Amino acid sequence: MNTADRAEALALAAAHFPEISPPTARDMLEYVRLELGHEEILDGFQWYGGHLSQAIAPRTILHVLSGNTPHAAFQTVLRGLLLGSHNLVKFPSGELGKMEEFPELLPPGLASKLECSRQLGEDWFQRAEAWVVFGSDATVAGFRAKCPPEVLFQAHGHRISLAVVLEDPELQSCPLAARDVSLFEQQGCLSPQVIFVGGDALRYAGALAREMERFALANPVPPLPLDVQAEIAHARADWDFRASGDPEITVWKGEGWTVVHENSRDFPVSPLHRFVFVKPLPADFSSCLARFSHHLGGLGIWPGTPANAERFAGAGFSRICPIGRMQETPLTWHADSRQNLASLVRWVDFEP
Amino acid sequence: MNYAALETEISRWMATGSGGFEEWILRVHRFQRARNPAYGDFCSGFPDPTRWQDIPAVPVSAFKTTGLRSFPEDETIRTFETSGTTGGPPGRHHFCSLSLYLHAATRGWVGAGLPASDLVAIIPPPGEARHSSLSQMASWLVPQDRFYFGKPGELLGALEKTAKPVIFGTALAFLDFFEWMGSRALVLPGGSLAVETGGYKGTLRELPKGELYKLFQERLGLPPDSVWNEYGMTELSSQFYTNGMGRPHKAPAWARGLVVHPTSGCEVDEGETGILRLFDVANLGSVCAIQTRDLAIRRGRDFELIGRDPAALPRGCSLMADELLS
Repeated sequence: MNTADRAEALALAAAHFPEISPPTARDMLEYVRLELGHEEILDGFQWYGGHLSQAIAPRTILHVLSGNTPHAAFQTVLRGLLLGSHNLVKFPSGELGKMEEFPELLPPGLASKLECSRQLGEDWFQRAEAWVVFGSDATVAGFRAKCPPEVLFQAHGHRISLAVVLEDPELQSCPLAARDVSLFEQQGCLSPQVIFVGGDALRYAGALAREMERFALANPVPPLPLDVQAEIAHARADWDFRASGDPEITVWKGEGWTVVHENSRDFPVSPLHRFVFVKPLPADFSSCLARFSHHLGGLGIWPGTPANAERFAGAGFSRICPIGRMQETPLTWHADSRQNLASLVRWVDFEP
Repeated sequence: MNYAALETEISRWMATGSGGFEEWILRVHRFQRARNPAYGDFCSGFPDPTRWQDIPAVPVSAFKTTGLRSFPEDETIRTFETSGTTGGPPGRHHFCSLSLYLHAATRGWVGAGLPASDLVAIIPPPGEARHSSLSQMASWLVPQDRFYFGKPGELLGALEKTAKPVIFGTALAFLDFFEWMGSRALVLPGGSLAVETGGYKGTLRELPKGELYKLFQERLGLPPDSVWNEYGMTELSSQFYTNGMGRPHKAPAWARGLVVHPTSGCEVDEGETGILRLFDVANLGSVCAIQTRDLAIRRGRDFELIGRDPAALPRGCSLMADELLS
């Protein structure tokens, strides 16, 4: 199968997952062109400046997936298959939902390039020419230490994502923000944990709480393990106590969701699982993010204008988008601020 | 009734060692509701309890954010601080008198069945750790010249010279000592005990309880039943004890544990797991009802501690800010 054939087959399989904004075959070929310069450059030499070049995909890629976020898992596996590599996929201990059905939807020529398991295969480390690792700093460091120097290593660490509402007197972004927070149970690296609001943040928080309730009624929270329930209970108890002695703090909560309005200078800690903070937007927004600058993920903004995006372009986020689209990443997204297809290939040049 | 008078009455009751828990804890609660402004504000959202189980419990994190005192601030004589692992402020427990803490620590120790003689400690002495409640407690139990924290050679010598030593220390200190021992091994005489507490806060080291207890057997010749665990908190005045593996922690007569469901807040059924709340009559100067961050299994009137295991939480790629701050 050449690149176009693979893109066609992948698009057909991906179409079964509307929840992760599946790319079309055209999207995938465009992605190859954007990152590698030519959409057939994986299939043979193509002109590249004054000479010919070919991109050589790793024969085998090891993907170590994290948590229960199907979006990231889907995209990395799709990249590996689009390159034409053989893919060894270590699933996390948690469920990945429908993502686990993906291999069954592929034609034999691609399905045979996918080995999935919840355990790392004994020889996987030796077989893989590239490792793609999702996880905490400690997980990434652990794998990096084991990775031979000649093997390509692509890390996707954990991230904090936020949203900023610069102006929204009609509270139009609230239902969209509730969706961004609630999808994937706030487990994704693009799930906002704090929403900074210019103007009346308390009013925004109240409206957001109503939308969180509405979203939860339509999309109930799945059963949570006891220790997760306990973490949420601790966070709620903590903020309930603080609210009892501080009129600046208000807590709204329902079945499976929590909204806290507070205006301290501290960065609040969310236990995730639809637990979101609303804070007034500080004048020194960038400096309040300084301690997380290497771990910032996505920023949702409202209104989502280019001028507003420019204001935050240098803040450290890898992605800025309008609130409501935080969970819908294009394949061409520079996840972790880099080209993730280009960083997996090697090059061979021919100078005729 | 003022603090001193109530303290005296509670001390007398604690000395009797039995009965009347509900009456006393409700009395302490009412006192604190009236005298502790932050707790009073918190309680305004709850009805007056008629059962000890319904006393509003503050989250243990409240000791980080609020000065929880049931006495005027300027009467504070000691403040103990948690070791803190998150880079945030430590939890602070203020005292205007250490009398009830002293009674709870010493009577609780003996009441649990632990010997009051031949104690040695691998805990920093109070002079070196003025903000440590554990060091304070150890100073009431262990003679001043029997503290061997950071002195493994002297500890080894003391153990060899003591008839039936009772070694009191943190799990981490025991681990350090075992590592220092290398291939050496002692067989302590029958009747010797170890009491471990604490854990591995603020360190990257961790050892499952079963493996730690195996080391007690290998290095000191102590079978699991001769190894005790003391479960206490800076934010409390009383302690809970168990020995061996898989047994529940028992409370003294003036304290109770309550295992509640995280969502409903109701007590779980026998054998079920939930969040551990602790009720402590001796905690007169702050708050007598605290919701811990630990999970436990309800075992009759006692509880089997599971603890807090953040690694058990299934996480995606969304980073919790406290992981970064830790």
